Amino acid sequence: MSRRRPGRDDSPDRLYTLTGGRSSSGSDVFDLVTLIVAECDPVPGMQSEHAAILRMSRFPTAVVEIAAELELPVSIVRILLADLLGTGRISARHPRTAHGSAHSSYRLPDPDILEQVLVGLRNL
Amino acid sequence: MTASSSPLRPSALALLVTSVASGAFCTAAVAAAPSSVQLPLGWFAGSGALLLSVAAFAVTWLAHSARLLRRQVGDAEARNARLTAETAARAAELDRLAGIHAKETAALAAAHAARLGAANAAHADTRERLGEELRRAESGRAAAMAAAANAAGRMQALATGMLADLREMEHRHAAEDVLADLLHLDHRTAQAGRLADSVAVLTGARSGRRWARPIVMESILRGAMGRIGGYQRVRLHSTSDAAVAGHAAEGVMHALAELLDNAANFSPPTAEVHVYVEEVPAGIVITVEDSGLVMSDLQLRRAERAVTAESLDLAGISGTRLGLAVVGRLARKHGLTVSFRPSARGGTGALILLPHELLSSTNPEPPLSPSTLPADLPAATADGAADEGGVRTERAAPAPAPAPAPALAEAEAAPEPPARQGDGEGPEIGESGLPQRRRGRTLAAAHPDGPDAAGRAPRIPPGTASRSAARFGSFRQAVRAAGTPHSNPPHPEGDTEK
Repeated sequence: MSRRRPGRDDSPDRLYTLTGGRSSSGSDVFDLVTLIVAECDPVPGMQSEHAAILRMSRFPTAVVEIAAELELPVSIVRILLADLLGTGRISARHPRTAHGSAHSSYRLPDPDILEQVLVGLRNL
Repeated sequence: MTASSSPLRPSALALLVTSVASGAFCTAAVAAAPSSVQLPLGWFAGSGALLLSVAAFAVTWLAHSARLLRRQVGDAEARNARLTAETAARAAELDRLAGIHAKETAALAAAHAARLGAANAAHADTRERLGEELRRAESGRAAAMAAAANAAGRMQALATGMLADLREMEHRHAAEDVLADLLHLDHRTAQAGRLADSVAVLTGARSGRRWARPIVMESILRGAMGRIGGYQRVRLHSTSDAAVAGHAAEGVMHALAELLDNAANFSPPTAEVHVYVEEVPAGIVITVEDSGLVMSDLQLRRAERAVTAESLDLAGISGTRLGLAVVGRLARKHGLTVSFRPSARGGTGALILLPHELLSSTNPEPPLSPSTLPADLPAATADGAADEGGVRTERAAPAPAPAPAPALAEAEAAPEPPARQGDGEGPEIGESGLPQRRRGRTLAAAHPDGPDAAGRAPRIPPGTASRSAARFGSFRQAVRAAGTPHSNPPHPEGDTEK
């Protein structure tokens, strides 16, 4: 079985140590697709997750992608991001903000169309 | 002289009587005789009287002497007989005494032998009983240790399994209140696991977990910190990117956790505990400093003795102060050097030296490694971004060289994109042309990253779609992890690595 054996491949970090015991970011700035852009380079002595986020988000990166890359739950990543946002090391951009802008040709596809595509795929 | 004088007196008496009688007779005879014969008769009678007297004297003398001698012989014989009898009596007495002595000696010897035998038997019995008790105590102790070790091992396995379960649940439940509860349980379980680890270490059980790969220092510190109650008071100061070899990582974390626990427990509830990591020629020194009570010299020495003790006996361990004994065991097992000194913060500092044998130079987590990440991630991002924009541009202008890349790491990434591009017409179908790549690319193009990325177009160099699919895979994984519940069956306890 390809499932990872528990306790062997895990990281010894417990999640509460990453966040200092917090379980809530206290802000709703971040959802799954919020784009994160680093505003500075990682500095030595930084928590490794923060440094990894800064490296990863040199170019706009979605929260969910960061979470996948770090293999952490999204809620935890939100807390880490909130810390970084609080110190001004990243900026968060919501994709919806681009939706109403001048780039109307890049807006999200209509859910109806997506649904039709799904139906079509299933019919294949 | 009595023998000679005693016959003299009767002899003299006989002489005197005889001479007087004969003298008187002679005188009478002479007087009666005619005067003519008076003179010769006088002479004759006188001589006869003299002779008679002498004869009487001699007879009497001899008779008395013989009687005396006879009496002396009788005395001597009697004495002799008496002495003989006495000798015989003495001999008999001697024999009797000898017999009594022999009897008494035999009796005493027998009594002594009996007492000695009894004493020996009692001694042997006592020895036997003591030996039996010792054996029983020893086997009881061994059995108790084995039972404790076994129970601790199972506790460890349970705790490890629970931690893995909790980790899985933490990934599955996105709701913040649920997550908070899960984290709380996680923390409690980690502390219970540490206690089980401590008991396992003290009872000589196998160590709890084996990590399959080296663990970076930051994870070591956080892993140790997560196992104590007051972890929120611990401040880590580490820039080291060294890693601890997998076989020793658990021991190091456990020892560090015990020291952190001591530091947190013996300092005010609001004081922070600081952890510093310093690389020295002999290895790495981890310093745990608290600002609690200053330990006296005696206490410092006692603590040092506790962590350096050679003996393995459990005497003197109290139920609530297991920490230093555990640290000592772990230090001996992994070759750590632990020492204590007064801290500049006002409390006590504990130092652990990890020798080079425990350190691993290989960096186990490439995504977090400073050496590989700058070369890797920008390229990936560039690829994905170019791909998203590729719907419009790629046909007309097949990706130019990545020369305009502004990112700092592009120089290292530069050789890669041309090599990937050389084999196909463009990023449309990717380098392998697999359908998944196309689907991933198309979905990626439809992803709302598009507009934003396009808005930042000057920063993004065009590239290939080589990594977009892999990246999208992780995206999907994250969405699934965050959104839909897993269908993983709960793993049994036996699955847990011991």
